[in-house]
Amino acid sequence: MIRQIALFVLPAVLGFADDALPKAETILDHYIEVTGGKAAYEKRKTEVAKGTLEMTAQGVKAAVTRYSAAPDKSYSLLEIEGAGKIESGSGNGIAWDNSAMMGPHLKSGEEKTQALREAMFNAQLNWRKVYSKVETTGVETIDGEECYKVVLTPETGKPETQYFQKKSGLAVKMTMTLVNQMGEVPAEVLISDYKDFGGVLIPTKQINKAAGQEFTTTIQSVSVNEEIPPERFEPPAEIKALLDKK
Amino acid sequence: MRLLAGLLAFCGSLAAQLTPEQKELNTASFEKVWTTIRDKHWQKNPGGLDWQAIHDEFRPKIDHAETNDQARALIREMLGRLKQTHFAVFAANVYEDVGAVSMGDGSSGIDVRVIDDRAVVTNVDPGSPADKAGVKPGWVVVSVDTKELAPAIQKLKADPAIHEIALERAVLARLTGPMGGTIQVTFLKGLDAGLTVMDLPLAAPRGQVAKFGNLPPTHVWTETKRLGNTGYIRFNMFLDLVHVMASFSDTVNSCLKQCDGLIIDLRGNPGGIGGMALGMAGFFLDKPDQKLGTMYLRETSLKFVVNPRPEVFMGPVAILVDGTSASTSEIFAGGLKDLGRARIFGTRTAAAALPSVIEKLPNGDGFQYAMANYISDGGQTLEGNGVAPDVEIKLTREALLAGHDPVEDAALEWIKKQRSPQ
Repeated sequence: MIRQIALFVLPAVLGFADDALPKAETILDHYIEVTGGKAAYEKRKTEVAKGTLEMTAQGVKAAVTRYSAAPDKSYSLLEIEGAGKIESGSGNGIAWDNSAMMGPHLKSGEEKTQALREAMFNAQLNWRKVYSKVETTGVETIDGEECYKVVLTPETGKPETQYFQKKSGLAVKMTMTLVNQMGEVPAEVLISDYKDFGGVLIPTKQINKAAGQEFTTTIQSVSVNEEIPPERFEPPAEIKALLDKK
Repeated sequence: MRLLAGLLAFCGSLAAQLTPEQKELNTASFEKVWTTIRDKHWQKNPGGLDWQAIHDEFRPKIDHAETNDQARALIREMLGRLKQTHFAVFAANVYEDVGAVSMGDGSSGIDVRVIDDRAVVTNVDPGSPADKAGVKPGWVVVSVDTKELAPAIQKLKADPAIHEIALERAVLARLTGPMGGTIQVTFLKGLDAGLTVMDLPLAAPRGQVAKFGNLPPTHVWTETKRLGNTGYIRFNMFLDLVHVMASFSDTVNSCLKQCDGLIIDLRGNPGGIGGMALGMAGFFLDKPDQKLGTMYLRETSLKFVVNPRPEVFMGPVAILVDGTSASTSEIFAGGLKDLGRARIFGTRTAAAALPSVIEKLPNGDGFQYAMANYISDGGQTLEGNGVAPDVEIKLTREALLAGHDPVEDAALEWIKKQRSPQ
């Protein structure tokens, strides 16, 4: 009920913002409300999401599985048709990726910081822990809908920009600079198709554009609070070997 | 006689004059070339030029071009302003030869290179129809199904825009056909021998079919062996990642503490998945954050950083290349050369490090362009330059006929010297 009221009232409140933009804090908190509310987020302790990744222009397809657990553990497996597996993970202060193609890699610097930030469970709920500064900088129309443009700056690292629909309060677009071994790559993510999984709305479609490439991730299922064996988050032997060398 | 000459000249000029439709096709071709570079070149101002001004300068000239040759020359002049390689236009008849695609999936098992303007057998796949028929390296392929190869080779070599890799592909395409079919090949066997005609059945190519994305299904094979105490690996493409990486990993790991050196034979390897070059380089570099090079796109640049494997081979590494080693092969060879981790043997590589594309223009000409620039760690622009070998050795027919591979022999000799310096 409270959520319904919030859904009804907050857009109206935000509507004042035509002249004076609403505070970014308000927009971000509103997002939590319209996607399920704080209580629903707090009930979640683990998540197993399964889906697909497709690079249409190149004809490349992959199966994606992502395991996440509070407070900061994650393990992702990308199984690419014709190119094998790419694993990545975070937890206990380390972030890594590993594949037969590229070999084992322990992340460091900004790449590590970004990976750890992304691995934070319920990051949307905990945005105050993730970002040290948030600011509404304007209004842009995306797919015919007016959206608030919010710039979020983490404690360390580059700012990212999120776009929230005025009407629904949902995030529909992000722009950021991806940092990895290859360099800093400007990226844009279009977010859509929100669906309810365990009381929280999760976007099930993301169109990612970076370095002249475009790929689409589609989430097909999300299992909430499934028991995940702790060893699922253990880094593979190749990563452990690198850690032992340090 | 003068009248006849005048008539011929008149007829010639009539034949060369363009119809309005042909002029339109040339204009459309010019616009396609100009627009493609405007939209896809890695520099916002291609070649540091005011690209719009280039359009405004050349478009009226194209509109007034009286022949296809004039129009093509103008487009080439425009591309020349870029002062960058891998931007070329081929005449329609040459494009048809360059674009000569495989006539079918069937293969006789022969690999050839153009040596002294002749198609010479350099390798025969073990167990292939050619192997069973007794075809040997060093033989010259004179004709296939009664069509002589020499005229096509001469025509392709005469066009400066045609690179060795395109030439070799065009020649190899003539040795393919439908699986189960037969090609009649005329060989010149020995140095003094006469011609021999053989009917060679066409069978499935060597290796197993690999699929990746939109690439056509491709047969991929690996070959590993020991040459004395030197490890050797050859694979025909950077594809079939699971099997090729496993084979590569097994070869290197089996050599870790036992081999005097390692030979990686990339001759004939046209590239494939770029990431595999990084993964393979990780077996030979023991320090993190080293890179093979940097790829420059319009929006960003990508560093090709190598992740060292937990166990690495730090002995001598020889990489064998030739004019058909392209793309990922060049990134791998050029990077390890610049990092001082490999010595390169053979001939200069294809100079096609990037995914350059050849498209057909509205007037039938072929248009080649690259979409990014790649600079190796040592500052070399691989596109258009290729990887220069440390030790240049050309294959000769005489050596092949004698059962020698002079490139491999030189690599083995170098590895031997590393073990026991003179």
